Amino acid sequence: MPLGTVLYESGDKMSHVYFPTTAIISLLYIMENGGTAEIGIAGNNGLIGMALYMGGETTSSRAIVQRGGDAVRMKAADLRAEFARGGLFQDLLLRYTQSLMTQISQTAVCNRLHTIQQQLCRWLLINHDQLPADKLVMTHDLIANMLGVRREGVSQAAGRLQELGVIKYSRGTIYIVDRKGIESVACECYQVVSNEYDRLLGEYMRKNLPDPIAHISASVRQRTVKEKAFT
Amino acid sequence: MPFDARSDLLANKILTALPAADLERIRPKLERFEMTFGAILNTPNQIAEHIYFPDSGIISLLGTLGEGSNLEISIVSSEGAIPLCPFLGTPSSPVRSLVQGDGIAHRIKTADFLDECRASPELTRMLLHFTRSLMLQISQCAVCFRFHKIEERLARWLLMSADRMESNEFLTTQKTLSHMLGVRREGVTKAASHLQKLEIIKYSRGRIQILDRPQLEAASCACYAILAKQM
Repeated sequence: MPLGTVLYESGDKMSHVYFPTTAIISLLYIMENGGTAEIGIAGNNGLIGMALYMGGETTSSRAIVQRGGDAVRMKAADLRAEFARGGLFQDLLLRYTQSLMTQISQTAVCNRLHTIQQQLCRWLLINHDQLPADKLVMTHDLIANMLGVRREGVSQAAGRLQELGVIKYSRGTIYIVDRKGIESVACECYQVVSNEYDRLLGEYMRKNLPDPIAHISASVRQRTVKEKAFT
Repeated sequence: MPFDARSDLLANKILTALPAADLERIRPKLERFEMTFGAILNTPNQIAEHIYFPDSGIISLLGTLGEGSNLEISIVSSEGAIPLCPFLGTPSSPVRSLVQGDGIAHRIKTADFLDECRASPELTRMLLHFTRSLMLQISQCAVCFRFHKIEERLARWLLMSADRMESNEFLTTQKTLSHMLGVRREGVTKAASHLQKLEIIKYSRGRIQILDRPQLEAASCACYAILAKQM
């Protein structure tokens, strides 16, 4: 499945939780009139299907593949059982919940108070953190859908960033040329989200666990399969 | 003088839904707390000493940006508990909690609260459920900020406040409203005057009165109905 594949539609019953390894998944909130806006992003730093351990079965947002890649997935029942055992796995999931909540809150604040250019920078930085290389395959149309703004607004903002020499945009690919430069144009929202993630999960991430699911029970690990469907 | 918590009435929906044995164990650790308009229950990056379970009144959760810039991202009343950060694994919260409508809460020391979470799967389950509903509220807020007009958002805010205060009349200031909605005071004044001209609300000397609730619902964006249904 290429870029743009819908993993879950808002209201869908979820059968699995997904832990992206190289894919990036965008969480889009769907308005009654069909308008969309991105409220969060999950890459290998997160998961899709949070509602499953929070007492729900359906998702309230659309999960859409923003960068093709791999994930591992776990059956809903296994996730619930592992979560109920408590310990490190539960602790990590709860910490991640707090970090996503901060990301959503900051998106709300940013939507209200900051310019499209600042928002675009925040968005590029969050994505760049998830990328193995300095390029992102993405059209202005898709970015406009993510940010919930008009395409022209995105093109204008991207044009200015290109003039500043911090990004290069060509044929559907955005190249991050000068990350420090993007950071200096961005609002503080990126830093807030990034600091909060580091505060909550940095300690665990620095441990560099060899296997992202090493700490769950062996039987579930066997059932947890690598999902290549995103590519 | 400390209040005798055992003698007064609990109305918080999480606490009152606990199994009798759990509630009995928690009760002696609860302390009655009077929430007065403008009181700050926790500030960003400060260790949360207590968890508050409101019985009545309204608490605003404010996303913060730099010095003095606050923006309401959700409101919590008797259906919830704040701050959630200790439950989610971290001692301090990135948001500020401000009392927006007078009321009563029962609070518990954070260490006791965490002991109770471990002892009561039912408490954990309800807190997860509440966390999820709070995330939905914040997500809704993010798109509301993006897409809806000031007047629609003002109407939504008034309806949500009235529901939680269980009253059609409450105190607020233009300054508060401008913080809550993330717009300049002139914008609030204009929207409020228009609703007043239509005889939907009456606003004088810091007191807002809802005169025509069906019309106020019609003036609100869809976010109100979506959130009300979800609660």
